[in-house]
Amino acid sequence: MMPYYKFDYFSFDFSLVVAFIIGIAFGFALERGGFGNARILAAQFYFYNMRVLKVMFTAIVTAMIGLFYFSWFGWLDLSLVYVSDTYLIPQILGGLILGIGFVIGGYCPGTSIVSASTGRYDGMVYLAGMFFGVFVFGEMFPLIENFYNSSHLGKVTLPKFLGLSHGMVVFLVVLMALGAFALAEWGEKVMTKKLQGDKQ
Amino acid sequence: MKCPIEKLSINKRLALFALVLGIIALFIGNTSSYKINVNAKELALSTVRNQDKISVIQLAEWIIEGKADYVLVDLRDEKSFNEYSIPNAINIKLENILDSGLMRNEKIILFGLDDITSAQAWFILKSANYKYVYILKGGINEWKEKILFPRLVENASQKEKEEFEKIKQISFYFGGIPQVVSGASSSEIYKIQSPTVPKVSPPPAGSIKSIPKKKREGC
Repeated sequence: MMPYYKFDYFSFDFSLVVAFIIGIAFGFALERGGFGNARILAAQFYFYNMRVLKVMFTAIVTAMIGLFYFSWFGWLDLSLVYVSDTYLIPQILGGLILGIGFVIGGYCPGTSIVSASTGRYDGMVYLAGMFFGVFVFGEMFPLIENFYNSSHLGKVTLPKFLGLSHGMVVFLVVLMALGAFALAEWGEKVMTKKLQGDKQ
Repeated sequence: MKCPIEKLSINKRLALFALVLGIIALFIGNTSSYKINVNAKELALSTVRNQDKISVIQLAEWIIEGKADYVLVDLRDEKSFNEYSIPNAINIKLENILDSGLMRNEKIILFGLDDITSAQAWFILKSANYKYVYILKGGINEWKEKILFPRLVENASQKEKEEFEKIKQISFYFGGIPQVVSGASSSEIYKIQSPTVPKVSPPPAGSIKSIPKKKREGC
């Protein structure tokens, strides 16, 4: 039964090897999805290119359906899948900072590593900036520790928060994703026409 | 006639597939976690072989040696836990045992007032696929009796006396009060002594690592 590590199918040391392999596969998928290119990533925020939205929603829907059905088949104990705790206000602020960095730099942490490893200089600079940020955060941590731990809500999941069954949430998220895909396709067509119009 | 699905692009087919799975999910509702699968034979065998019990003396020796490859779980209520517990124990109530963050690959030693609660907890954990679960034989009562307030009757045999000398050392380590008593009044003295349970000074720093904090997971 999954998750394999928590059921002790392999040791901590071997789990690092597994993590390494999954990490390589993740990086490869990001690169093939076009996420090693800052132009494509940043274009999302200006709505010329909706690839980020499409890839992310595809990933979410695939993983969600997989986890749901695996759990239903009895292959996976969902209660053991890690859900990080919610610290509402610090996470909103953190999300905003990450988003601003994303628009300015054109990468998020994972994609900057993909980009740097494919030899892009902007990715490498971004990576250096990220490590500097981590260092500054670490040094500042005693000052912001109280804020960092504030508005703790525990483990919040959509089914619990909305009082819906898991299946209902799966259904709604699938609908939302399909709607977003349709909207993105339509938006891209409109944008392309508009851009062509501007050029002429 | 061509099937309408064949006309769709691969993206649209995948989208349709996701939609179908989403609709089926709607009818499944909740997937149950905590599916219990019990290998009754294996459970029975490990019980018969007494492989799942640890004596208080064994545990005391481990604590003194500074062994830290186990999690010691006190199943009693919070009040009793705060009054006195075995050093380094953590307090988890029976009903929370599956949600307490204990790992399936950890060595878990359970104790309650006696063996009953720990046996129940042992069964729950074993049936939820926890690998290394042990019961502290006799629970906290036996810990008090054998480690904190060991008694030697005056007319004990030589062998019992030797044994007592050893336990005396262990007892002092945990702040206990070993006594030599005459057979008749032994239970009385025990009763007088037992309310003043020693405040246990934590074992020397460094020798035992504190209960490992839950690892932060995720990205």
